[in-house]
Amino acid sequence: MSRFQLPGNPSSLSSVAAKDEPLRALGLDRNGRERVVVGVADLAVSKDATKSIVTYALGSCIGVTVYDPVAKVGGMLHFMLPESTVSPEKAAVNPAMFGDLGIPLLFHKVIEAGARRERLIVCAAGGAEVLADDGHFRIGNRNRTILRKIFWKQNLLLAAEDTGGQHSRTMSLKLADGSIQIRAQGKDASLWPR
Amino acid sequence: MATLNETIASLDRLPALPSTSVRLVAMLAGGGANANLREVEQIVRQDESIAASILKLANSAAYGIPGRSFSISDAVRRLGTRTLAKIALETQVSGRLANAGVSYGLRRGSLSESALGGAIAAETLARRHHVDPELAFVAALLRDIGKLAIDALAGPDALEAIAAQADARPFLAYEREAFGADHAELGALLCERWGMPVEIVHAVRGHHEPPSNPADPVIDVIHAADCVARWAGLGLGCDGLLYPFNAEVRERLGTTRDELEALVADVHSALAPAASGLPNLRNAA
Repeated sequence: MSRFQLPGNPSSLSSVAAKDEPLRALGLDRNGRERVVVGVADLAVSKDATKSIVTYALGSCIGVTVYDPVAKVGGMLHFMLPESTVSPEKAAVNPAMFGDLGIPLLFHKVIEAGARRERLIVCAAGGAEVLADDGHFRIGNRNRTILRKIFWKQNLLLAAEDTGGQHSRTMSLKLADGSIQIRAQGKDASLWPR
Repeated sequence: MATLNETIASLDRLPALPSTSVRLVAMLAGGGANANLREVEQIVRQDESIAASILKLANSAAYGIPGRSFSISDAVRRLGTRTLAKIALETQVSGRLANAGVSYGLRRGSLSESALGGAIAAETLARRHHVDPELAFVAALLRDIGKLAIDALAGPDALEAIAAQADARPFLAYEREAFGADHAELGALLCERWGMPVEIVHAVRGHHEPPSNPADPVIDVIHAADCVARWAGLGLGCDGLLYPFNAEVRERLGTTRDELEALVADVHSALAPAASGLPNLRNAA
């Protein structure tokens, strides 16, 4: 089991993307295609090695991937805001919206699906910032901070990250080998393996 | 690359929004005082997609009585003039924007979703900051209409090539270099040509670069709402987050980080039913 303490009401946590869960368990997206698409404020876990998990348009939001290369189980979270305290009622309905609840939930779900914590390769992308934000909002930056804070507390290391800047990114995780591609500014690049 | 004259000339080749949209904007932007139920009903009845949206909403749990289904006449009475006008306009504008933003690398539906997300944010901010909420809703809905003009001007991958070279300057500056005008200015020119009220024209023009002494506070509201939509991950193409949040606007509105972050969460939640095909007008009741 995860060593994370899951904050909030445990019954609400299982409700994440509940309507898509039967499909996702089969490794299918809504249309039964090879790709599992993670929307904004959403997460998905799969152990189907024929599939990829993908999320589009990461701006200030952050995409977090976890992958166990032995069990070939992986997951992805696309969180939007750092802390659930700004909107506890929204957090109760959808914890994947917030980094502080979504990150522990992602680990919980992937371990539940058969991954082992000590084998997990963890990567992150996104956390861009609007221009000339004079330190008032800095949502991208604060999203990166919450990620580091949780990882530091839990003694986890980020294997690779592509964060910051002002551009939007698409992130995909191939479940066959755990490789991660980032598409940004019209170019594809491998985030993992480096 | 195009000169300003070529760019302006290209606006005439863009099909206008339906004349009924222009009427609906005029009704809503006038503080709803000009809204005429009979006229709105006529518009609804003439447009199948609007009628379908209206019926869906009237028969949804939020408005309907379970087990009873409503006809258009019931729905018109039940929803009220302003709500009807908003749904009708939203349906028409969404239809026009659904395939737009291709030159920015946006996927189908992204720009219409971003238009609606910004409109929901603007309406909420407007209520808090004593600005006419209907005017704010309409102006935010139309704020990126100038991207239709950029789509028509930019060759395939042109903007992506520009974005790949971009340093940390506002994206509008790159648009001006390439086309002689940016999407905010082009949107304002389109709204002017289509006979939209002057408040809308000004708000569309200033939504990224608000004037330091805005004639109308609605411009500040649209500027903040646009950033909220972006933080909610809406409408992000190759232009990404290359848009500043104006510090003067923040001070004039007196808006806090927590307030805007909560609004980002609200906008995301409000759009979830929209994705399922149900028109979203949470605040309309």
